Amino acid sequence: MPMADTPKSGMPPGALPMLILRVLHSGALHGYAIAQKIHVLSSEVLAVEEGLLYPTLQKLLVKGWVTAEWGTSETGRKVRFYRLTADGRKQLKVELAGYDRITQAIQDVLRTA
Amino acid sequence: MGELFRRLRYLVHRRRLEAELANDMEFHREMAARAGRRNFGNTLRLREQSREAWGWTWLDRFVLDLQYGARILARSPGFTVMAVLVLALGIGVNIAAFSLFNMVALRPLPVRDPDSLILLERRSPDSYNSEMSYPSFQFYRDHARSLAAAIAVFGVPPVQLNNDADLVKISFVTPNYFEQLGTPAALGRVLSTTLDASPSSPPVMLLSYPLWQQRFNSDPSVIGRTVRLNRKPVTIAGVLPYDFASLASQHPDVWVPIAQQPYFIDGSKVLTDFNSSTVRMWARLAPGITAKAAEQELRALTDQLRLQHPEAVWKNEALQSSPGGHAQVLHPEEWRVVVMVAVLTLLILAVSCANLGALLLARGVTRQHEIGIRLAIGANRARIFRQLCTESLLLAALGAVVGLALAWAVMRFVLAQIDAPRWITAAPDGRLLLFTVAVMFLAVIFFGFAPAWQIARSRQHKTIARQLLVTAQIAASCVLLIVSGLLVRAAQHALYTDPGFGYESTLSIDPQLAQHGFSESAASAYLQAMRARLSAIPGVRAVGLVHLPPMGHTVWRQDILIDGRRILVYPNQADADYFRTMEIPLLAGRTLQPGEQHAIVISATLARLQGHGQNPLGKLMPGSQDVVVGIVGDAHVNALNDDDAVEEYWAPQPADMPGMVLVVRTGGPAASIMPAARAISQSLAPAIFPEMRPLKGLYQDSVRHVEQLAAIVSLIGLVAVLMAGVGIIGLVAFTVSQRTRETAIRLALGSRAVPLCLALLRQFVWPVALGATLGATLAAVGSRFLRMILFGVSNLDPLAFAAAIAFLFAVVALAAVLPLRRALRLNVARALHQE
Repeated sequence: MPMADTPKSGMPPGALPMLILRVLHSGALHGYAIAQKIHVLSSEVLAVEEGLLYPTLQKLLVKGWVTAEWGTSETGRKVRFYRLTADGRKQLKVELAGYDRITQAIQDVLRTA
Repeated sequence: MGELFRRLRYLVHRRRLEAELANDMEFHREMAARAGRRNFGNTLRLREQSREAWGWTWLDRFVLDLQYGARILARSPGFTVMAVLVLALGIGVNIAAFSLFNMVALRPLPVRDPDSLILLERRSPDSYNSEMSYPSFQFYRDHARSLAAAIAVFGVPPVQLNNDADLVKISFVTPNYFEQLGTPAALGRVLSTTLDASPSSPPVMLLSYPLWQQRFNSDPSVIGRTVRLNRKPVTIAGVLPYDFASLASQHPDVWVPIAQQPYFIDGSKVLTDFNSSTVRMWARLAPGITAKAAEQELRALTDQLRLQHPEAVWKNEALQSSPGGHAQVLHPEEWRVVVMVAVLTLLILAVSCANLGALLLARGVTRQHEIGIRLAIGANRARIFRQLCTESLLLAALGAVVGLALAWAVMRFVLAQIDAPRWITAAPDGRLLLFTVAVMFLAVIFFGFAPAWQIARSRQHKTIARQLLVTAQIAASCVLLIVSGLLVRAAQHALYTDPGFGYESTLSIDPQLAQHGFSESAASAYLQAMRARLSAIPGVRAVGLVHLPPMGHTVWRQDILIDGRRILVYPNQADADYFRTMEIPLLAGRTLQPGEQHAIVISATLARLQGHGQNPLGKLMPGSQDVVVGIVGDAHVNALNDDDAVEEYWAPQPADMPGMVLVVRTGGPAASIMPAARAISQSLAPAIFPEMRPLKGLYQDSVRHVEQLAAIVSLIGLVAVLMAGVGIIGLVAFTVSQRTRETAIRLALGSRAVPLCLALLRQFVWPVALGATLGATLAAVGSRFLRMILFGVSNLDPLAFAAAIAFLFAVVALAAVLPLRRALRLNVARALHQE
């Protein structure tokens, strides 16, 4: 458990759910694609640990922010795709707003101190 | 809400959903392998972590613990059977007691809207009457707006049906009785408010199902047939259902509209007389009205009634309501009994739990090895504790199931024995199951927690927990034994001592003259003639007159104040011959002259209380104008089992004559003069059917109740003490086996048997002593509440206490000595070699 909680990839704690919600915003993806998309979009700075990805996805499922449904992968294999729900969209907005406020605050401190 | 739903859905589909997650991860791994990465980590561990998100881990652990516990218990069937039996006894007794309480006081009557039914009774600070006069009832019914309906029930002595020798029980009711309860007729019709409300309606009656079966051979053509009740023709209108649920579980054989009461009882004025309290009043609360609000309104009505009929209402009178929709109406006084029984049954649970707790602790020592291994491979103590508690829960659940079955069997037997209403069944309902679960958890806390705590911390060798459990067992068994001792003494006392009056061959004859509307002079003439002709029957020794006959239907109690102390007095009106007939000795002064006023005869105990050691003769009774003219022996004719009761007697006045009852003492069995007495009454007044009751049978009934109670409590006390005994055998045997080496060395060094045994038993001395002291103290304090039913045996009766404690010590000593023999027969050489 503690092993999974300490990110080695420079991912700020608590940021992963927001990132997952964000990358799902444009459409349903399977687990590997979520990890890849975050990795690519962050210019390969952020690496999503599998050990963190799947427990986090389960938590999002419990909260009802995403749902899972069967689909076919690009390699032609049956796999579950995770899709953002209406609740998830709302949550994403809340998290983004919160994140913006925090980064703004941090920026303010960094600039003026 | 949505989240809980998703979690539950996950629980239901977890197998599929976990497979899907595994598939996701498998796919992820394939893709990662393609991209040249191989360090996916431990899939099993990942899946476990993902599963934790759903929050069902505790359930998994619980199921695992249950499985493990079941295996452990199955591996030692002897222990398991023993433990389940001990628990089943403790839990079963509680379930049986609650089941009875549930049937009587909690389960709603199977009638329409039972919750809005109430019983209304007259109460004032110093008087109580469960009945009121019919005109008062009418006044309340017509004026109360908080009552949607009011029902009056009027029970009278049995009446004669056709010419049958066996009398039938009859009840007069307002015709809305059956409509209000929503009872349909099994045959014909029930009483109706339109057809049967007027005195001029054609007389009808309803038959109870048993009477229809027994006297009319279940003949469906009885409807419309005319029969005779007390020789008055009456038409059978209907038959009530087999499982008819009546108010307060009364079961008369025939039901007649109250408006026709004067038709059956010649000359009766009870329907118009404000002064004769004869009907029980039931009511249905108007929608949205609470019983308290109704009482408020009725209090105002009582005050109005007092203005119109001052003689019909007591000072500070108010109608008190009790919930009426149950098999029995429980009055505040009866709750005390309920609490007492609850305490006794919980004590039994405590004994069985303490017993089992000690057993578990002893087992903990033998399981040391197993626990050690589990700790060594990484289980923490909390986990071990949880597992042991789960095991206890499993035991308790088994015990509860067996206990429930046991209680069910017992209740079925009891219901078959007593004359219970047909609608009552012993089948457990939701309330009983809930109670069972509650008792089960209580038991787990009682017996499981302490041992689990000790074992989980590997402290099962400490003796203090074991000693405390012994103390608890001894204390609880001690209370039970003392209470049963007191009850046995009370039963003996009732059986073998003189109750203060003669009942062996005495008959009470109640002609109910008042209800037949006899005037003072007519009543006087009838009673005179009866007395003269009864005295002439060969074998009749004495005939007396009394208002409230011994063990009668009505009891009159009054609180009087003597020196600021409240004393419960049983007042009565009796002539001089009454004392002779009842063989109540005159101790000082004289008895009453006929019609004498301002004179009173009191019982010996009342004389002692009032006189302060001086002679009360010739003095005024406190708070009255009555001079004490005589002192007679104590005779608790209407409070047999309450030795604190005292009596006072006045001379009957001419106005009292219609309410008087004859008592007759004969040389032979009292019942033998009943035909002759009936014939005399017939010749004097053909409309009168006197109720005759031999006192011997009534007295025996009353004693039998105490005997039965004593038998039940003794049985329970015996079970408790035997359980405690078995528990102590186990503990001593355990101590002996634990200290084999020490014993062997002592024996080898030449120790004698007695000091050796004392050394082994020392740890049990103070728990037994403390337990017995605690138990005796508890019993002494608690038994004050028993006084009312002890037939004059003191609640601190030394014999009962001494016998109970001696018996307890005997069982303990026997239980301690039995396993010691093994220590003394020890093969020293082998024991020392083994170690």
